[in-house]
Formats: sequence, C-alpha cells, structure tokens
Amino acid sequence: MNCETARLLMENNDPALAQHLLSCPSCIIRTRARYFEPPPDLEGKIRQSLRRENSAPAPWRWLAIAASILLAASLAWNVAMLRSRVAPAQLLAANVLSAHLRSLAGTHLLDVPSSDQHTVKPWFNGKVDFAPAVKDLEGFPLLGGRLEYFDGHPAAALVYGRRQHIINLFTWPSATPIAEASETQKGYNLQSWYGNGMVFWAVSDLNQAELRQFVSLYQRN
Amino acid sequence: MTAFVRTAMDPTRKLALFEQNVMPHLPAAYNLARWLTRNDHDAEDLVQEAYLRAFRSFETFQGVDGRAWLLAVVRNTCLTWLRKKGLHTTEEFDEQAHSAASDSPDAESLLLNQAALGSLNECLEALPVEFREVIVLRELEELSYKEISDIARVPVGTVMSRLARGRKRLQQCLAGALG
Repeated sequence: MNCETARLLMENNDPALAQHLLSCPSCIIRTRARYFEPPPDLEGKIRQSLRRENSAPAPWRWLAIAASILLAASLAWNVAMLRSRVAPAQLLAANVLSAHLRSLAGTHLLDVPSSDQHTVKPWFNGKVDFAPAVKDLEGFPLLGGRLEYFDGHPAAALVYGRRQHIINLFTWPSATPIAEASETQKGYNLQSWYGNGMVFWAVSDLNQAELRQFVSLYQRN
Repeated sequence: MTAFVRTAMDPTRKLALFEQNVMPHLPAAYNLARWLTRNDHDAEDLVQEAYLRAFRSFETFQGVDGRAWLLAVVRNTCLTWLRKKGLHTTEEFDEQAHSAASDSPDAESLLLNQAALGSLNECLEALPVEFREVIVLRELEELSYKEISDIARVPVGTVMSRLARGRKRLQQCLAGALG
C-alpha cells in the first residue's frame, strides 16, 4: 500500500487503513502532519524588504566608499608629509644657492672685509642675536663676513677663499636639527649640517672633495 | 540556469532572477521555519531574515534547485536563532512519557479518534530538532536523502538513521497518546 492509497482510504474513513498507518509512520506524517501556510501578507513584506535591500548600496559598495575615503586621506597625508619634509629642505638649498650667486654677482660679497677672525666675529654683535663661530682654516683663507636673511631670519655669511674660488658658509640658530647632507645644484656644491644648535650651509663652485675638506676642517677646529 | 552570473549582478536582473527562482518556495520556507521554531511569530520573522540573507548571497546560488538552496538558508537561520535562545538540544526527548502504553493499540480507534490526528502534530513538535528537521524535509518536502544531507550538513547515513529513529519515536509517541 502506498501513501496515496492510504490517503484515499483515510478520506473514506476506511478501517482497513489502520494497520498500515501503524506500520508506516512516514505515511501518517505525509497524510496527516500539518503543513503550515505562510501568513498572506508575508510575501508582500519580503518583496518590500528585497526592494529596499536592492536600492541600498551593497556591503561591498560601502567597503569601496570607505576604501576610497581612506585612500584620499592617506594621499593627502602623504602630500602634506612630502611638503613638510622634502619641499622646505629643497627650497632652502635653492635659497642658499641664490644667496651665494647674489653675493658673487654684485659688489656685495663682504660687509666686513677682513682676514682676521677677531674682527669678523665682533662685527656680527648687535646685527644678529647669535655669535657665529669664525675660524681660521689652513688652506682656506678667511675673506670676511656678511649679513644674510633666510626665510625672514638673519644668518651670518662667512666668506672663505680657495685659489680663485669663493666659499660662502651660512649659519644661523635653529631648534630643528637637519641631517648632514651634500648635494650638487647647477654645478655648485652644497654641504649642510647641524651642530651646537646651529644650522650650517657651505656652498661653492669648488670641487666636492675640497669643499668636504673645508667642512671637516671647520667642524674639527 | 547553468549560465548563471555568479559575480556582481545587475541589481534589477538579480532581483528578477531571485523572484523567479526563490520567491515561489515561500510556503516550503515558512513550513520548515514554523516546524523548527514551533510558533507563528518567530517563523515569520526568521523567514523574512532568511530571505534577506538568501538575497545577499544569491551569487552563490548555482541555479539548480531554488527550493533546496532556500531551505538550507532557512534551516541555518532558524538553528542559529534556536542556539542563541538556548533552545537547541536543551530539550530531552522523554522516552518514558512518550512510550507506548500498549504494544498493540486498537487500530480502529487510532483511525477514528480525531484526537490521535491532533496528537500527531504534538508528537512531531515534541521531537528533538535534529529529528524534526529531517522528518519535515523528507516527509513534508519530499526531498532526497542527498538534498537533506546538504541542508542539515550531516552525512547521508546520518540522515537515514535520524529519519528511522525519528519515525520510531513518533510512532511510540502516537501509541502513547492513544493509549
């Protein structure tokens, strides 16, 4: 006896069914267990929520939006860091070189022409609020000193010579140390370093080896 | 159906495909949820939740059988809910209370007694959920052992043994109710 027969017998209240039902629980369930019908408004509710879901940005789209915001922020941050880190250093190097070139182009190389460090150093008194270290360096005769301005603050320019070459050594106090560096711009060599709260920039058309020798002599004396 | 787009689908097309393949199986979804939760209100909420879940993961639908696929989602949604509520596997089927009072209940009275038919539903509701789900999927949805094994995430052998044990318990429960 299959379930369909059982169902028919049951609908007719046929007593012959009883034995089969007891031996076949599967049939009892199939024919008599309740099949729950969904509430009539459930389908409409589901369709509505699906439409809402479909018009809202998908989770991956939110993710994409979040990712692009993050990317934009990190780009902006990187640009800001580049500006604050790289740009000022390069700008300063350009300014230093310009000051060097200006000093050579005109007649204003020296405010105080003297080969005597004891004349040059006191000359800065009252003109700047720091005392630049004016040193006698063997092989690099002192020619004198001059007042310069970088970024609105005064700087001392100490002028040294080497054969026909002029070396400008700029120095001013700064709370922010800079890293020791050497570079070449437009055929001029520049060396910068930091010590005792002072920034130093040496610039000259002298070759790099001799400029380096000048710097190490200055640093050692 | 085999040429189903599984990656990012055009939203309008996705909704149309979903309504065509999954929406018609709402009665099966509700029936299963109702048998698993044993109350109307929760069944309705969980079916709605399951439909949303199914829609969101519609890309994983292979396009073979919308009903079995949907029932798997409904089943998981319901069992997660039962577990959260602490209703899953906490109930112990009382073999004693539901055991047959007599080994040979009067066959005729079983048939004619309308109370017996009412107690069938009660007995099915009283079954532990792991038996109840395989019986509903097999007897009411007439799914294959393989399909049930996929939905309930147990081997086919387990499906068969649960079915056999569930039927046996049901039989005992019925006989007990009639006795």
